[in-house]
Amino acid sequence: MKTVRIYVTYKPSVFDPQGASIQDAIHTLGHNEVQKVTVGKFFDVTFDETTTSLETAVKDIAEKLLVNFNMETYKYEVLEADK
Amino acid sequence: MKIAVIVFPGSNCDVDIYEALHSVCGAQVEYVSHKATSLTGFDAVMLPGGFSYGDYLRCGAIARFANIIPAIKKMASEGKLVFGTCNGFQILTEMGLLPGALKQNDSMQFVCKPVSLTVENNRTPFTSRYQQNVEITLPIAHGDGSFYADSATIDKLEQNHQVVFRYAHENPNGSLNDIAGICNERGNVLGMMPHPERAVEEILGGTDGLPLFKSLLDHGTVKAEA
Repeated sequence: MKTVRIYVTYKPSVFDPQGASIQDAIHTLGHNEVQKVTVGKFFDVTFDETTTSLETAVKDIAEKLLVNFNMETYKYEVLEADK
Repeated sequence: MKIAVIVFPGSNCDVDIYEALHSVCGAQVEYVSHKATSLTGFDAVMLPGGFSYGDYLRCGAIARFANIIPAIKKMASEGKLVFGTCNGFQILTEMGLLPGALKQNDSMQFVCKPVSLTVENNRTPFTSRYQQNVEITLPIAHGDGSFYADSATIDKLEQNHQVVFRYAHENPNGSLNDIAGICNERGNVLGMMPHPERAVEEILGGTDGLPLFKSLLDHGTVKAEA
């Protein structure tokens, strides 16, 4: 089995209200060195052994469902198998 | 003219649209489950507001996979009228019948109040009973109603007069160009965040939503493109 972690965030050009609000809160903590906060979500998707092309499957799932390309973008990584 | 009101799990304005069309306008209306696969015999379809599928993933994203969706797309392609308000608008963008997307309000707050709108295009089957540029008041009730699209899409919407309703005086959610409602190029699919079905009787606080339903009942079906 392989688990893929897919990260979805707003495109850089799109205003992220949560990120802006959290950034303000961080500044209130005194960390004025923080320039930007981006909020997103991630999906851990676990595939069984029958997957022949993980990359194709992840692309299909992300682009047809998990991501709205009008406003969002994504990246993913294959997680290390559990020991 | 027979009108379908689609009921998804989590729809909560289905009764409002049904009653606006049936009790107030006297139209023939039927509820249709999201599990149905056909809209044969219907002349128009309404996608109500609410929180379909709990707003999981993104508002409207899961509804796109409901059994009824291909039948709605078929009606749109046949020039029949398709209308979505609030969550219905979100579903129309997610299923690709309207461009752009609805994102979280800039304020991050759920905004529930009457707002002023300008009717920007009264040459659609949904707005013919309004005067061009008239200002109306309709309620909004949403947390994810900020219309977003890339600049090329926005320019195209403006050039084609597909912006049908625009927020006047105050933008409640951060929508680009103050957009409150848009139609497709053909003009037979309309999506809007405000709730016209909640403004059809004086006891509800106003009747500015009534011309929308009367307009669509006037028109029935958009003529096939020449």
